[in-house]
Amino acid sequence: MSGSLDLAEEALRATSGDDAEVVVHAERSGVARFAASIVHQPTLIENSVVRVRVLRDGKIGWAATNRVDAEGLAAVARRASEAADSARPDPDFPGFAGPASYSEVEGYDEETAALGAADQARLAAAAIEAAGDIGLYGIYTSGVTEIAVASSTGVAAEQTTTDAVCLCLAADKEASGWAERTGWRAADVDPAEPAREAAATAARTRGGGELEPGTYRAVLEPVAVGDLVRWFSYDSMGAQGFLEERSYFCGRIGEHAFDPKVSIADDALDSANLPRPFDFEGTPKQRVPMIEDGVIRGVVWDRVTSARARDGQVSTGHAPPDAWRFFGPLPSAYSMAAGEATSSEELAELVGDGIYVTRLHYLSIVDPRGGVLTGMTRDGTFRIRDGKIAEPLVNLRFTVAMSDVLGDVPGLTRDRMLVNLNDLYEERFAHAALVPAIATGRFHISGTGSGPGL
Amino acid sequence: MRRQYVITKNGQVDDLSDAESAGIGVRVLVDGAWGFAGAGRLDETGARDAALRAVEFARAAPGRHETNLAPVEAHTGQYRTPLERDPFAVPLTEKIDLCLRAEDGMRHDDVKVTVAMIRAQHEHKVLISSEGTNVEQDIYECGGGIDAYASTDEVSQVRSYPSQHSGVSGQGGWEYVEKLGLDREAPRVGEQAAELLRAPACPPGRTTIVLSPEQAIMQVHESVGHPTELDRVYGTEAAYAGTSFLSPEDLGSLRYGSEHMNITADSTTPEGLGTFAFDDEGVPAAREAIVEGGVLRGFLSSRETAVQLGAGHGGSMRADGWARMPLVRMTNLHLEPGEGSFEELLADVDDGLYLETNKSWSIDDKRLNFQFGTQVAWEIKNGKLGRMLRDATYTGVTPIFWGKLDAVAGREEWTLFGLTNCGKGQPGQEAHVSHGAAPARFRDVEVGVSS
Repeated sequence: MSGSLDLAEEALRATSGDDAEVVVHAERSGVARFAASIVHQPTLIENSVVRVRVLRDGKIGWAATNRVDAEGLAAVARRASEAADSARPDPDFPGFAGPASYSEVEGYDEETAALGAADQARLAAAAIEAAGDIGLYGIYTSGVTEIAVASSTGVAAEQTTTDAVCLCLAADKEASGWAERTGWRAADVDPAEPAREAAATAARTRGGGELEPGTYRAVLEPVAVGDLVRWFSYDSMGAQGFLEERSYFCGRIGEHAFDPKVSIADDALDSANLPRPFDFEGTPKQRVPMIEDGVIRGVVWDRVTSARARDGQVSTGHAPPDAWRFFGPLPSAYSMAAGEATSSEELAELVGDGIYVTRLHYLSIVDPRGGVLTGMTRDGTFRIRDGKIAEPLVNLRFTVAMSDVLGDVPGLTRDRMLVNLNDLYEERFAHAALVPAIATGRFHISGTGSGPGL
Repeated sequence: MRRQYVITKNGQVDDLSDAESAGIGVRVLVDGAWGFAGAGRLDETGARDAALRAVEFARAAPGRHETNLAPVEAHTGQYRTPLERDPFAVPLTEKIDLCLRAEDGMRHDDVKVTVAMIRAQHEHKVLISSEGTNVEQDIYECGGGIDAYASTDEVSQVRSYPSQHSGVSGQGGWEYVEKLGLDREAPRVGEQAAELLRAPACPPGRTTIVLSPEQAIMQVHESVGHPTELDRVYGTEAAYAGTSFLSPEDLGSLRYGSEHMNITADSTTPEGLGTFAFDDEGVPAAREAIVEGGVLRGFLSSRETAVQLGAGHGGSMRADGWARMPLVRMTNLHLEPGEGSFEELLADVDDGLYLETNKSWSIDDKRLNFQFGTQVAWEIKNGKLGRMLRDATYTGVTPIFWGKLDAVAGREEWTLFGLTNCGKGQPGQEAHVSHGAAPARFRDVEVGVSS
């Protein structure tokens, strides 16, 4: 797998029309999936997808293929043209991006790129061994991804990235704990670490007790914070939800809606995240502050949505991969500002009496405009009593307004963690949230579920 | 595999796409260990390379492997979706016209965004195994849906038809889309979206609820379909999608719900997205009881998990494409009809709610505690539908909730819905599954969010 920009430019030459744009999205990856400490679903993938968008007489159509020989490229160009010819002129289409200079970013590691099936299996084995006697469930995965964008309007962009992820659930019938690591360098993802942490958490979850519904103070570990922010963002932090009036941010730009300690940006240029210099239209990535010191600042944009805004808005470099296109532009490198607490235990002291949440499960948006989410806690839910993490709890159903969760934040940890957000659907597009653990004064528990464990 | 989307939004063509993907996936069993590799090259070199890499991964896979498969006869054969008009032969302009007509029908002063979508898919799949299976299947799907988003300065509401989950789809030709009547339903959808802005919020409390077929199938999908997948029962999905409150020993004895609860898995259902001649392990399609009279009678299984259970023979293994290993998935899972009309179902409700069109959905990792929200609710007073309510949610615990099922309407009210967004697996896979249901009535259900 190499030469994605060459492939994009070859595909571009096969197009006909007023203008055209080609995106190549290629991956070589391996996923060693394990359950009960056995790798049971090892999956290796090697593929290149070519997407062609064609503009003809003001009309746009696109087609995609993974047949990358000359015949396949000619066919995909022809299908894109046929789609464009059938479309109606789009008065809002701003044209394809022009040439740009991109920030130098990191995000590629030779050693990670070189990992093969035997290495991925070996690293999964290291996690399994570190978990000890308790069963380990999860994945070790690494991959190399190439994204290239070429257009007749002068875009010529290419990036090769690597990523490695180890997700660990240590569990038996009555106990479960979760920990994970993500990075663009496999050397930063020691699989033994999350395995040991997950096993240690699991050991403390036996005999989880019930909790009465109500609003509690809570400590949320980074994995839980990352999930909440991601789900909040689907309608609220992207331009499509904002323009279509589903976003909590509608009518609130400049409003002091959250605790002053809360700042959330999208920052794909940060090497501590999974860096990317451009988006899927070839627009340079910008750092976009969405919440700054508790004040709502804005959302992320691509070229189409910024044109539809008709107020001079420009793309912030957030055109999505194909798999996300129905959502419009979305953040993919969340960055939440750190606080001053030295540990989650210190946050528990700030909470005093409340609950401690490690991980969330199956979130859903109850009321997009109100920023209301529901879901369950799992794999490490505890009571906090007298400022200490105390007895385990069963899994809890929460139904929360994000204005409550982020509206009263007594503290955040100094250290932040890169939380994996990639569920590995469609083509590999590694993305993550760099977030601290937080304490919140308001986390509404609306029910109880099953106990910890399998 | 070829997928085509036509999406219009606010009177403009928003997405006109045509994506194809071809490749080979090789699954191997080496000394009891699985290995899988997918390659996007459909030639001998690609196939050989994928096989070698799959074997390499299987040999390297840590753990004590012991895999036994239920025997399957080595079938050869072909299957093709019955269809009248190939959806890819329908001109894109005809599809755009239908979408724009439907959008026109949804226009209303309070409706800020209208969306219409039509999709088509063709999967050509060949399964060849070292056991002698050699089957070729051509599966055609198409579908569509419409959404109207109404909003004021503070409130946003959505109304969809036939569902919010990318409309609905079925196996078949263009005639399936025509039958949906997107333009016919559009004025009602637009008007109801606007009406929701002024509707009072659904009050919390305990009451009788009647679920529309579209919401009933979501209940079946989440609280019966997923927990009866045997890979979840045996823990192999634990880290991601979760496990199940069911155990193998529950087969034949666990009371899942009331005597009115009858659930069938049927990979032969006409127009079902889970319909095929053979699953991705070569097991022939079949119709099997999952719950009978409220008692658990079956699981969804693979050949491997059937051996573990000591019952069944597989038949639910499906991959969402050449680049993924098959997993235990739903095929077509139905709530079987009872008797009587929708009106007769309502007639026995003095005070309750009719809930229509899923809006939010969440269920815990063992598939016990759930909370669903619907786009719209109507009061039921003295057996008749009353005023519209917005923001309705209901919650429960799976076997307790199904135990409160006291009636399902009859066959004439039974409707099949096809969903294309069922996520599972690592790497993730989206299964296309269908469910049929008629309106269903549940007593004493908690509505709203506890304070």
